[in-house]
Amino acid sequence: MTQVNEASLISTLLDRIGGLGCIQPNYLGKATIQVNADSIRKIIEILLKSDNTAVIVAITGLDLLEKLGLMYHLRTHGSIVTVRTEVPKDNPRISTITDLIPGANFHEREVADLLGVVFQGHPNLARLVLPDDWPKNLYPLRKDADLQEVTAKLDSCLCSTQPEIEQKQAQKETGLVNIVVGPQHPALLEPEKFSLTVDGETVKVVEPRIGYVHRGIEKASEQRTYLQDIYLVERICGICNSCHAVAFAGAVEKILKTEVPTRAKYIRTIILELNRLHSHLLVLGHAGLEIGYETLFQYMWRDREPIMDLTELLTGNRVVSSSMTVGGVRRDLKEADVPKIKTQLDILKKKLVFYQSLFQNETSLKMRTQKVGFLSTEDALKLCVVGPVPRASGVNTDVRKDEPYEAYGEIPFRTVTRTEGDTYARLMVRLDELNESINIIEYALDNMPTGPFRVRVPRIVTAGEAINRVEAPRGELFHYVKSNGTAYPERVKVRTPTFANLPAFLKTAIGESIADIPANFVSLDPCFSCTDR
Amino acid sequence: MRKTVLDFWLIFRVLIFPGFTFVLFLTLFCDWVERKIEARMQNRVGPAVAGPAGILQPLADLIKLFTKEEIIPSNAKKNVFRIAPIVAFSIMVFAMCFLPIDGSSAISSSGFVGDLIFVMALVTVANFLLFISGWASSSPYGAIGAARVLTQFLGYDIPLFLLALTPAFLAKELTLSAIVSSQYIPFIILAPWGFVLFIITLQAELEKDPFDIPHAESELVGGLETEYGGGKLAFLHLTRDVQIVLGASLVVTFFLGGPNGPVFFGLSGFWYSLWFVLKLLAIVVITEYITCLFARLRIDQVLTANWRILLPLSILSLALTITMTTWVYPSVT
Amino acid sequence: MRSLATWARLKSPWVLHFNSGACNGCDIEIVALLTPRYDVERFGIKLEPSPRHADVLLTSGAVTRQCAERLKRIYDQMPEPKFVVAIGACACSGGVFKGNYTILGGVDKVIPVNAYIPGCPPKPEAIIDGVVKLLNSLQQPKSEGKQ
Repeated sequence: MTQVNEASLISTLLDRIGGLGCIQPNYLGKATIQVNADSIRKIIEILLKSDNTAVIVAITGLDLLEKLGLMYHLRTHGSIVTVRTEVPKDNPRISTITDLIPGANFHEREVADLLGVVFQGHPNLARLVLPDDWPKNLYPLRKDADLQEVTAKLDSCLCSTQPEIEQKQAQKETGLVNIVVGPQHPALLEPEKFSLTVDGETVKVVEPRIGYVHRGIEKASEQRTYLQDIYLVERICGICNSCHAVAFAGAVEKILKTEVPTRAKYIRTIILELNRLHSHLLVLGHAGLEIGYETLFQYMWRDREPIMDLTELLTGNRVVSSSMTVGGVRRDLKEADVPKIKTQLDILKKKLVFYQSLFQNETSLKMRTQKVGFLSTEDALKLCVVGPVPRASGVNTDVRKDEPYEAYGEIPFRTVTRTEGDTYARLMVRLDELNESINIIEYALDNMPTGPFRVRVPRIVTAGEAINRVEAPRGELFHYVKSNGTAYPERVKVRTPTFANLPAFLKTAIGESIADIPANFVSLDPCFSCTDR
Repeated sequence: MRKTVLDFWLIFRVLIFPGFTFVLFLTLFCDWVERKIEARMQNRVGPAVAGPAGILQPLADLIKLFTKEEIIPSNAKKNVFRIAPIVAFSIMVFAMCFLPIDGSSAISSSGFVGDLIFVMALVTVANFLLFISGWASSSPYGAIGAARVLTQFLGYDIPLFLLALTPAFLAKELTLSAIVSSQYIPFIILAPWGFVLFIITLQAELEKDPFDIPHAESELVGGLETEYGGGKLAFLHLTRDVQIVLGASLVVTFFLGGPNGPVFFGLSGFWYSLWFVLKLLAIVVITEYITCLFARLRIDQVLTANWRILLPLSILSLALTITMTTWVYPSVT
Repeated sequence: MRSLATWARLKSPWVLHFNSGACNGCDIEIVALLTPRYDVERFGIKLEPSPRHADVLLTSGAVTRQCAERLKRIYDQMPEPKFVVAIGACACSGGVFKGNYTILGGVDKVIPVNAYIPGCPPKPEAIIDGVVKLLNSLQQPKSEGKQ
């Protein structure tokens, strides 16, 4: 990944944008461009022309009292460029960019759902995360939203009928069958609904309905202090909990301009990599379960238990570790624990050799996963997917290498990529990443610097805003925090990797057999508690 | 001999030993064996609390299911829904009664000519009734699960039947007890290809990995069993388990010499049953071992395996057997 | 006969797992119960795919507005006798998310609960402990009532 010189990037942008907007370098990424709402499409076109591999990372909506702010965060040449604009609150309209970047579809729908912005030209602005019977014109993320009425009425929501998206009329004419998978289904650990329209055994249309796990975390974080928010944000997802905590704490540290001690950075890196190890073992085992390979599932989860033990050793809890705080980590690494960690990692390394040979030689496994769920490089870029999914389709993208955070800049490791783009490739990428994670942890343990493991930070955070990205096991995790000079954040925006990857599932499932759906689905490693927040 | 004595003896043989009760307990025992093997292969312990080493677990499952509330979905075909599982189970047990477990079969002690074909036909009918059960539940998952069961067993019935003719040609008989008594050398040695292919086809017929699509939870929820609960579910489970025992018994009868084995002292019937059960357990272990080793194949891969691989191979196997019988083994049979 | 029925029910509790709005932490600890280290099949516990086959409903997560009706429907589909175990702080009372605009609260706002297992997430050993306590309580005579 070539790192484009910052100055040349800015000067290129300045030349091309001209008078359309003003540029603030090194703010919210490599640069922030402030534009008018009508010029948004022109700016996106210019950015796409200068880099046709640019993808959208998130669209953040803000309530600025008389106006609604919109920030389009794009990733180009490995770093973030933010385009900011505003729309008036009484007429929040802006043109859509989904024809330029198809991956912006879900992002625009979410802002429409939670803030009430109308994206003109969007193919389908239906509800995304809020329930179907949510009152119209009530937008939770607006500061003046009156949620008392809704909260008081919650107990009676059992009596209300939930209108469902029915397409029975259309199907009777075409002869296609509609199968609804979810919200309770053995294949899915979490509740979400997929409406599949099938023709015999081939899938024609996939319509997801997410939002069953929407807990209103972004709004709730505005009512808790920064420290309480770490506990809240961790529980967006139990599997990648440390990543959320690091992303949030890191953003707050950027606002405060705090320098985290190096020892804390190394300890954070170790905990993040342990998180990656347990998450990849989990999904590989789960994939085994989906293709009927129960033995693989049992073996993988058996080998995952020592990692949980190590997490408990370091942080005190197996799953939700609560080990991060603004300014460092809460507990130091004890010297006596280091040999224990190394022994377990050595055992896991030997087991990985067995799994490698299993994945490479076992026929029935290969028959179920090879040439299934193909995602081309071009689609991976257009749909803006993140994590092992584009890496299995030949796209070399990894936040740890593109914009190193914590101790990743000092630790040598390689990014695993494959070119086949099928389910097998996605699983193999994760298997190979396990090896890399073990190496990272061992290097960090060998080169652990001495010093303090945290610094004290003030309770009241100065006004400002910052973004932070972390490579979670499922992909790039994006946090945006805005503070207003009090002890409570003004706005917290989280864009999780599965939110970005879901459109890819819709694409890879079409045209394939219905029997391949579970394996395909799991290879994208979906986490709906992350998606819905 | 007075007719009444014969009648009691027949009732005893059909209902108690080696008929219904014996088959039921043998099925529960085989279920326990399977679960223990699967657990061990997966590095676990398996059932351990119900009875010593968990041996009473299948019985506990059965009793618990019978004590549950009966729920019938409103748009199910009620009478079929209630009766189909029970009839399927009865037919399987009825088929078991024709196998010479302790030297002679429960019904018509020396069998009748063609009872091999009769038993195979009974298995097909019972499977068809399983399909009917799934269809009667009128739920989308039940319907798809039932359709999958139908596709699979109808497809695999053909090679299974052809392979079942292998021992018939070797013994030049179509009666099960005659096939058993002509196995001075067990047919597994005379026709090993038949044995191997029969085991593979049996895996598919019994819907076990790698052919266990009808039970694929991740795609079909409960498959044809989705809407069933309580006692009817117990009958569906039992049908499947008895089918496994029946399949293994067929392998033992066709290729391993049935109950043949040395008699040491006392009742010959006891020793014959013992050898039969031991050989049956060996086959159950083999099939369960294969189940644990492989992932599940997709429906189109299962169908390919049947029509393009197993069917031609079973025809070849039959041809090979006939060739061997005519020119190579005339002294044996 | 009744003691035989109770013995059978105690030795063979089949479970259904439903996530009504959880962060996955409790869910992965529940699935971990089936794996070699904890292996609840020893107690006869099997994870069933359909509500009609299950005796015990293991719920995790606070109940969100969207999931509430599903949860009730699944509970109704289970045949008697049936039991509900609320696993994790969120299922017990709403946990960290209590008061949010889509959260009803704990599972007992929707269906009756027989056992509460607190923790965030509770360790698998705690979950096994809770389930065993529930099974033991079933052996008490009916006059003692539900927990």
